[in-house]
Amino acid sequence: MANTITLKRRIGSVKNIRQITKAMELVSASKMRRAQEHAADGRIYREYAHSLLTRLSGITEVEEHPLYVKRAIKTRMYIVMTSNSGLAGAYNSNILRMLTRLIIADEKAGIKSQIIAIGKKGAQFTRNIKSVDLIAAYTEVGDHPDANDIRPILNTAAELYRDKTVDDVQLLYTQFKSNLVQEATQLSLLPARFDATDESESEPLSNSTFEPSVEAVLDGITERLLEVQVYQAMLESVASEHSMRMLAMKNATDNASDLIEDLTLEFNTARQAAITQELAEITGGAEAIQQ
Amino acid sequence: MIRFQLVSLSGMKFDEEVYEVILPTLDGKIGVLDHHMPLVSVASRGMIAVRHKSSDPDDFRDYFAVSGGVIEVADNTLTVLVDEADHADEVDAAEAQKAYDRAQNMIKEAKDQVSLEHAQTLVDRQAVRIQVAGLKRRRRS
Repeated sequence: MANTITLKRRIGSVKNIRQITKAMELVSASKMRRAQEHAADGRIYREYAHSLLTRLSGITEVEEHPLYVKRAIKTRMYIVMTSNSGLAGAYNSNILRMLTRLIIADEKAGIKSQIIAIGKKGAQFTRNIKSVDLIAAYTEVGDHPDANDIRPILNTAAELYRDKTVDDVQLLYTQFKSNLVQEATQLSLLPARFDATDESESEPLSNSTFEPSVEAVLDGITERLLEVQVYQAMLESVASEHSMRMLAMKNATDNASDLIEDLTLEFNTARQAAITQELAEITGGAEAIQQ
Repeated sequence: MIRFQLVSLSGMKFDEEVYEVILPTLDGKIGVLDHHMPLVSVASRGMIAVRHKSSDPDDFRDYFAVSGGVIEVADNTLTVLVDEADHADEVDAAEAQKAYDRAQNMIKEAKDQVSLEHAQTLVDRQAVRIQVAGLKRRRRS
């Protein structure tokens, strides 16, 4: 009898868990839809900004601009995008594994690492690594980041680059490819010299006029174009986070349902066994009296 | 005719062949017609006016309130990248006025430089929106 009671209790608690994971799945699903729309809207802008940065890199004047100049790398900065909360499948661990791999490679090459963490998970993780500097952690960025959330992050990075404190800035984020595929991605941010990946992007700007002047244009637009890269990376990350969490919670709900099924079966068997045994005892007792 | 593409953070806002586009830049307003020379410039916060046909009067133009951004002319295509772009039809004058007043209050109550700058940005933004809201395009009958 004790067995059926514990089984019943376990079924109850698994049911409660299933309710919670189901609710989280639904919440993530609705957040994911919105985040996906946002990410899709921003993509044209980002692609155009990227292509413009690539073409700007082709003109000679960029060699003197502080944000474009290439230096020997002594310190590298990573901007790492993670989530504030867990239970999102491999979302955070994919990014952090990538970060660890890069830091180890840098250490071997004698390059120091500095980190700007976005999201609590990344901040907690990097705080525990002795060999890297956590410069800043932004944990207040919500699901709908705007330019005001991004600007301080980029300003910090650009300032340190101008100071020559860091010689390279990399952005680590999760690229949203589809509901099922999200990929930890590395994007080089500074120096802002983007090498052309295909022919169509290599069209030179050397024939273009720059108004008011090349320097003024570079000053006026470079940070903005970089900002868009960070902003879009953030949107992609948020969309990835929600879809990975939704999938993780869906799996958890399915597992809980399977578990409940198994436990119910076990419970029924145990109950039936108890009834059979009781009947056997009663008939056994009755027979004993008749004799 | 020149192709005009207006790209904002919320996607492609405008993509059509037009006659003339007036843009706010750091050095003042510029007009872009077809066969404009290749140009890269910086857009400042302000108003973009689009004339579809050369015969269109001023009040048939499309107006957009935009934040600062990037202007590029190449291959008879004008591309403008801005964070925000609102078409005159999307701006509610009363709402913009309210937001403007709120932003003015924020300036008065601003305690530090950062919040002051933020409030000033909001005021500038709403000022342009109010201006644009007054210029809703007349529909051709």
